[in-house]
Amino acid sequence: MKIIYLLIPLSLLLLSLAVWAFFWAVRNNQFDDLETPALDVLEDEDDVRRRRESRGENVGSSDEGRG
Amino acid sequence: MSQTPCFHCGEPVPPGVDLTVDIDGDARPMCCTGCRAVAQLIHESGLGRYYDFRDRLPERPEADSVGDYAAWDRDAVLDYHATAPTGDRRSIVLVLENVHCAACAWLVNHYLSGFPGVAESRLDVGDGRLRLSFDPAATPLSQLAAALDRLGYPPHLDTPDSGVERDRNERHRMLRYLMVAALGMMQVMSYALAKYIGAGSFGTAGGMDAETEEFFRLISMLVAVPVALYAGQPFYRSALRHLMQRHLGIDVPVAAALLIALFSSVLITLFGEGEVYFDSVVMFLFFLLLGRFAVMVARQRSGAVHSALARALPDQARRITDSGTETVGVVELAAGDCVLVGDGEVVPADGRVVEGRGRVDESLLSGESEPRGRVAGDAVLAGSLVAGGSLTVQIEAVGQATVISGIIELLSEARRRRPRLARLADRAAGIFIAVILASTVVAGIAWSLHDPSRVIPITLAMLVVACPCALALGTPTALAAATRSLAEQGVLTANPDALESLPDITHVMLDKTGTLTEPRMAIVDVRAAEPDRALAVAAALERASAHPIASAFRPHDDGRPVTDADSLAGAGVSAEIEGRRWWLGRADWVAGMTGHSIDVPAEGIWIALASDEAESVATFGIDSRLRRGARALVEGLQQAGIEVRLASGDRASNVDRLAAQLGIVHAESGMSPEDKLARMADLQGRGARVAMVGDGINDAPVLAGADIAIALAEGAAIARTQADLVATGRDLRPLVDLFQRAPKVRRVIRQNLTWALTYNISALPLAAVGLVPPWAAAIGMSASSLAVVLNAQRLGRRTTIERGRPAPASGEAAPGTA
Repeated sequence: MKIIYLLIPLSLLLLSLAVWAFFWAVRNNQFDDLETPALDVLEDEDDVRRRRESRGENVGSSDEGRG
Repeated sequence: MSQTPCFHCGEPVPPGVDLTVDIDGDARPMCCTGCRAVAQLIHESGLGRYYDFRDRLPERPEADSVGDYAAWDRDAVLDYHATAPTGDRRSIVLVLENVHCAACAWLVNHYLSGFPGVAESRLDVGDGRLRLSFDPAATPLSQLAAALDRLGYPPHLDTPDSGVERDRNERHRMLRYLMVAALGMMQVMSYALAKYIGAGSFGTAGGMDAETEEFFRLISMLVAVPVALYAGQPFYRSALRHLMQRHLGIDVPVAAALLIALFSSVLITLFGEGEVYFDSVVMFLFFLLLGRFAVMVARQRSGAVHSALARALPDQARRITDSGTETVGVVELAAGDCVLVGDGEVVPADGRVVEGRGRVDESLLSGESEPRGRVAGDAVLAGSLVAGGSLTVQIEAVGQATVISGIIELLSEARRRRPRLARLADRAAGIFIAVILASTVVAGIAWSLHDPSRVIPITLAMLVVACPCALALGTPTALAAATRSLAEQGVLTANPDALESLPDITHVMLDKTGTLTEPRMAIVDVRAAEPDRALAVAAALERASAHPIASAFRPHDDGRPVTDADSLAGAGVSAEIEGRRWWLGRADWVAGMTGHSIDVPAEGIWIALASDEAESVATFGIDSRLRRGARALVEGLQQAGIEVRLASGDRASNVDRLAAQLGIVHAESGMSPEDKLARMADLQGRGARVAMVGDGINDAPVLAGADIAIALAEGAAIARTQADLVATGRDLRPLVDLFQRAPKVRRVIRQNLTWALTYNISALPLAAVGLVPPWAAAIGMSASSLAVVLNAQRLGRRTTIERGRPAPASGEAAPGTA
């Protein structure tokens, strides 16, 4: 059972890591739009390609325009 | 007459219009050039999936009316409205019109991110605010604004202090508290569970020895103390504020329970033997925060629609300088400047006319529907519309000092108040808290004489079990759930009290023009030898006319040249087209000018078109189309046993025809706003509770006098400001749902309050005699709150929703088509 003296402090480390990651996400507005990203996965490949083409020289410079 | 719906906006395609857009090989029908332009733009940008994603139909875009946003690129405008540049980029918040659903946000975000220099574009569906981070050197703001306008979402500049930032910060802070509490709860619970399992199998192999138990306690404390101190801040702060105001808020026992449990557990961990309550503390905290978060989100959503100021004032003005005029942003104007306000433009600031004359429509501010003449020396107010003529105005007050800013400030102030039932529950909770605190002290003293070791567990259990959270949450959560689901369907709740008193309504008064019918006129019948040519000629002629009917012809305009146009007020227009003189207007006038005999039916509005050739005579039936859902609304209300009354300022023949068509028995015509108000007072005097549904300026006084005022967002701003509820779409069907749902809202609120009171009153004595350990009290408290919240969520369920492609508006065809 001595192992818990290592494992439980380790879990605290993971906990603080999770809190830090979450604060980072909030600070970077990851929780501001919870609706439109759900639609992105439903897109057709054709549309994405057409959009890339219509952007012309902008192709490839930004991935889906979300920087 | 076929009623093909427009692929873009879902409205029936008017007869004679043959516009299509080729989308993936299918020719899709379009009702007007505006829709065609937008649909083409969407398709060519590769965003065609918008049509699959959307669950609400958009507004019909105005054809060729992209506004002028030149002043938006001026440094003074950017410095005022946007953040200071970081690198090449600036961030700005724009308020967009016509934002309905997630698909709108998806469309706008993807469309804008295709422009060079746009780093971030995020549209909030709830309030129509777009946060844009862009490089002005790569794509000027004016170009982005014009692009949004072309897409059918006209943008406005947002006032920098509109509270968006404050709301966002509050939301972020609550999210952090919530997540810390959630993670902390998971962790502490897992330690506690280990201990409980250990306790269960004590004495057998695997039981926990004293040293391990001590270790788990220390670790629990290490997690629970910072978590409770950090995430509990909203409760400690609010309790402190309440205490300083000598007032017992709901947060006082909450904070007391949290802190007593926390510190007694710390003391026990460090110095003595006994129970620790770290797991109870964090669980209690998490559920409390969950409830608070839900209420906050609902409040922010419902308050967000009022970007009234942004929409009421223009974004730019023409300032008179020594060398002429220059287009400047409204923020650049200062008292003493002179601006030129042309026909159809909105006065940008309060001031005085120094030159010119014109008629000014102040309906937004005063409710006066008739434009009044203004000459040099007269005062004009920001937000009023110049409707005829042109004025030079010397500015006296700008920005926050204007009359309209004061009105808007008042309105947002009024919105902040809590609903009546919630206030009642708060007061009840206040009394209840006093009783709890007093009885806790009494019980504590009694137990300290009897058995001092049980004082802390019993005090804690009493404070926690008696927490009137469920009592205080009962009403707001029910109203929030109902508000949210109604908003999804297109009814915004400006005053939550209205939802609660809606079941008492006995009468509904409906306005006709603009409410039961569309505000725009449409051609419903064409009688001509060559209908297509007649429509095209009439449309060309109507270009010279400013009459409301002219807009009905606009989709048929093929751009053929018109010369020597002349319009005669009250009669019609005449002009030369392709070398021939044409007349369009009142049938008797056209007949008199051309010498042909023209017959039109006696009923409805008919206008005639003719040249000097006898076979050129054409007549057009014009009517306002019935609004989608009008019939469903009248039927739904009548089925619910509510008396429906039609009160209109229109002529008797029009009103009676519509009433017969919709099955409305009580219809009155030719009513002025005073008549409508008198009729309403008369009904109320006889004990009726009357709801009014209206859209226009003339409805504003009646809306103000109604027990419940329901306005249409499409209508005049002044009508909206009077409203308890606002229907956002063009469809009236959500109002049927509103009336059906209201009794359910009231029932759920009553269930919640009854349950919370029963639980609190029965649990408190049990805790006082020591039958409830603190952990059970925490579970009981959370369970009672959770029961209330879950019960309220039943109101959030969707009932009916129209998804996907526009359904044909069959059976709701225009009146007078027979």
